[in-house]
Amino acid sequence: MAPDPTPTPAPPVLALRRATVAYERDPVVEGVDGEVAAGQSVALIGPNGAGKSTLIRAVLGLVPLTSGTIQVLGRSPQGARRQVAYVPQADTLDAEFPVSAFQVVLMGRYPRVGWVRRPGAADRRVAGRALAEVGLAERASARFGTLSGGQRQRVLLARAIAQEPRLLLLDEPFNGVDALSQDLLLAALRRLRAGGAAVVMATHDLGLAHLACDEVCLLNRHQIGFGPIGTTLTPELLGATYGGQALQLRGDGVIVARP
Amino acid sequence: MNLLEPFTIPYMQRALVEVLVLGALAGAVGVLVVLRRLAFVGDALTHTVFPGVVIAHLLGRSLLLGALAFGVLTAVLLTGLGSHRRVGDDAALAILLTSFFSLGVVLISRTRGFTADLTAFLFGRVLAVDRTDLLQTLAVAAVAAIVLALLHKELVLRAFDPEATAAMGYRTRALDLVLNLLIALVVVAAVEAVGTVLVIALIVVPAAAARLLADRVAAMTALACLFGATGGWLGLAVSYEVSVDHDIRLAAGATIVVVLVGLFLLAAALAPLRRRPGRVAGASG
Repeated sequence: MAPDPTPTPAPPVLALRRATVAYERDPVVEGVDGEVAAGQSVALIGPNGAGKSTLIRAVLGLVPLTSGTIQVLGRSPQGARRQVAYVPQADTLDAEFPVSAFQVVLMGRYPRVGWVRRPGAADRRVAGRALAEVGLAERASARFGTLSGGQRQRVLLARAIAQEPRLLLLDEPFNGVDALSQDLLLAALRRLRAGGAAVVMATHDLGLAHLACDEVCLLNRHQIGFGPIGTTLTPELLGATYGGQALQLRGDGVIVARP
Repeated sequence: MNLLEPFTIPYMQRALVEVLVLGALAGAVGVLVVLRRLAFVGDALTHTVFPGVVIAHLLGRSLLLGALAFGVLTAVLLTGLGSHRRVGDDAALAILLTSFFSLGVVLISRTRGFTADLTAFLFGRVLAVDRTDLLQTLAVAAVAAIVLALLHKELVLRAFDPEATAAMGYRTRALDLVLNLLIALVVVAAVEAVGTVLVIALIVVPAAAARLLADRVAAMTALACLFGATGGWLGLAVSYEVSVDHDIRLAAGATIVVVLVGLFLLAAALAPLRRRPGRVAGASG
């Protein structure tokens, strides 16, 4: 927690330099290079097994790098965890777990509340506001597992909002999400970015990447491209990412045909 | 049958305090065991404390201290071995369970008259609990209850979403060790009263019954404590009354487990009543 020795310029929220992660010598994702500034949003695009989730885990400091560096707000991923929130896929969680939607959101306050103490009135207010942000204020007392897939995903985003992060990481946030939930998720992400948070999301949906992000990182075990979405999502680079499968570009929309 | 009358006798009073405390504590810890699906860990611990009990018996030391030493050892080994990528939790459990239990059997079979001792270790002797035993149980239970109360919100978070828990900066393996130690403490506290075989029922059955009826961890915990304590009291009272009035000897520990399973079946019968489709609140909104 040392004060930044150089007050200007502020470090990027996320900086990756030749970042490589390997499990027992086999590289899972290699040579990722790029920066994400406050208010920016990056889509991690690539086929299954491309290393998107692994890269997210590396930014969270949950898997070690074998080479290169990752810095979050100028610090190591472990040192910056208080400023980072992670949104898992809702369907990876136990739907029978006896917690309410509000209680799940309140969990986002735990790192700030600290050991032993219980969340106070201020924490409950923050959690309540976060749940309202994603349009679920009326479902606060519903058991998490009784909500629809899209609603559960919104609850998990609300939990991340309650963490008041400067970097938000999402793993396939739009998987199995209905249109209403998708719109509410997109709107909440826009407000977070307007508030200065940087966003990184793994997705295989190029259309949603266009709607939610301004930058893109193309991955298939190594970095194929990183840059503004308009100039980086080219047929050539997408072909390289997805192994040369057929794809079309239509205006802003991109369609990739997968087997 | 009078369910209060037996407790005018001093040894029955001590037994009652013992099972009420154990039932409530095991219920509360059991909630986390059931939510984490760790019943087999509890089961393994009940077997791995066995050599500790035997060694303490051979040395003429406190059985509880022997169980405590092996319970802590198991919790540490389990957490360590389980995190090894090529061993995994289930194999680590099986290895520890069988090796420690057989060590206990080997040791006890070298003593004279070991069948009587073995029965006592496996099934407990709650009616023989003396003042010292009771105080030891209360001390272990107090430590476990304090740890559980202090770390409850983190343990629940880890049970619900391990990935996000780690992302928030919590050391999940340390939390796992805490829970394994809590299970070990319950097993240790209960080993003299209900024996190593039946402790697992005290941990799992009340919590499993509570899960059928509760939609919140807090409510589930309250119900599990209530079921655990109720099962302890009813089991003791029934075993005493049946033994005295009808001259049918019912082992107290086993009767407690039978009552607990009865409570579980009752909860299973009641659960569908409160999960009617019409009760899903706000489905229209």
